[in-house]
Amino acid sequence: MTVETPISSDLIRGHIETIVLGLLSGQDRYGYEICKQVGILSDGEYELKEPTLYSAFRRMEAAGLISSYWGEESQGGRRKYYRIAPEGRDAYLRNLEDWKRARTLIDRLVSGESEKE
Amino acid sequence: MEAIKYYVKGAFVGIAETPATVEQQEELISDLTAKVADLVADGRSEEEALGMAIASMGDLSGLVKEFAAEEPAAPVAPVEPPAVFVEAYTARLRLHVVAISVGLSIGVLFVLSVLAVMGGTISSPAVAADLLLGIAGLAWIAYALRVIHAKPSAIESVELQPRARLRKPLMQWAAVCVFAVLANAITGGDFWVWTVWVAAAAWPLSFYVEQRLLSAGKFLHPKTEAENVSASVESPAVVTPSACA
Repeated sequence: MTVETPISSDLIRGHIETIVLGLLSGQDRYGYEICKQVGILSDGEYELKEPTLYSAFRRMEAAGLISSYWGEESQGGRRKYYRIAPEGRDAYLRNLEDWKRARTLIDRLVSGESEKE
Repeated sequence: MEAIKYYVKGAFVGIAETPATVEQQEELISDLTAKVADLVADGRSEEEALGMAIASMGDLSGLVKEFAAEEPAAPVAPVEPPAVFVEAYTARLRLHVVAISVGLSIGVLFVLSVLAVMGGTISSPAVAADLLLGIAGLAWIAYALRVIHAKPSAIESVELQPRARLRKPLMQWAAVCVFAVLANAITGGDFWVWTVWVAAAAWPLSFYVEQRLLSAGKFLHPKTEAENVSASVESPAVVTPSACA
């Protein structure tokens, strides 16, 4: 694993909801599980902090994109699981499309290549 | 893992306890506990794991603020400390209070007036006002003397709470100052406002002096102290049997 400077969290912040919705698409998860999964998927390059995650949870729950329920007792107390709602799936697919288009566009814009001139 | 609970609950201090905040705290506690368990499983010591887990949790204040913003803004009455009353020989107390505060004000007024007359910066209405204010001050002292003759050993309970008691006379003093400025503007420019300010300061000053004298234990009826002592001795004695039962 190469050690580089961590990715600026500003670049990722706008996509937290999409990332979380993506992780919830496959299965219901609890908060710490999502933080851990983000660490694994990013090879430790990006650390999702709990306050950021829970702010996103609260926003998305208020918007009806996800719902939550209390699960089994664990060593630290109960765990609250989050489940993606149909509206959440729609939002996820929409955000994913937006991101793909933005990525292509930004790639072109930031590369500064002038072959099309 | 008491430390985790303290840490999380500490971050929520000052936020009204609602089901939402309690659940959020429970989630954070559960997360931190799981994280510490993971780190310990990786071979860290308990203390090290705890420090790392809390550090990686980051600043909770942003999240906590979201809950604060949702709180209903209604019942946030300013918390006044409970009033404390003491029994005091009020006639003697009042005489001292008046003598000190009025004496100070009239003294300052007199010195300033003399200086102003010598410097030629005072007008005749201002001198007249000073004289009137001085007479009013003396009348106040005379009244206090009359009260002490009528009821030399009267005992009343006096509220011992400097800030609340000072607020009202300070506001009244401010009102007098505003009035003086207006009067000065209307009567046309002669600078005699300060005489009113200085003289009227005797009013809030008298409340301040009274609180200082009472806090210093002057003119207190001895019964007050005896009661306070017995009250503080009695209360634990009352608690103990119920704690045993």
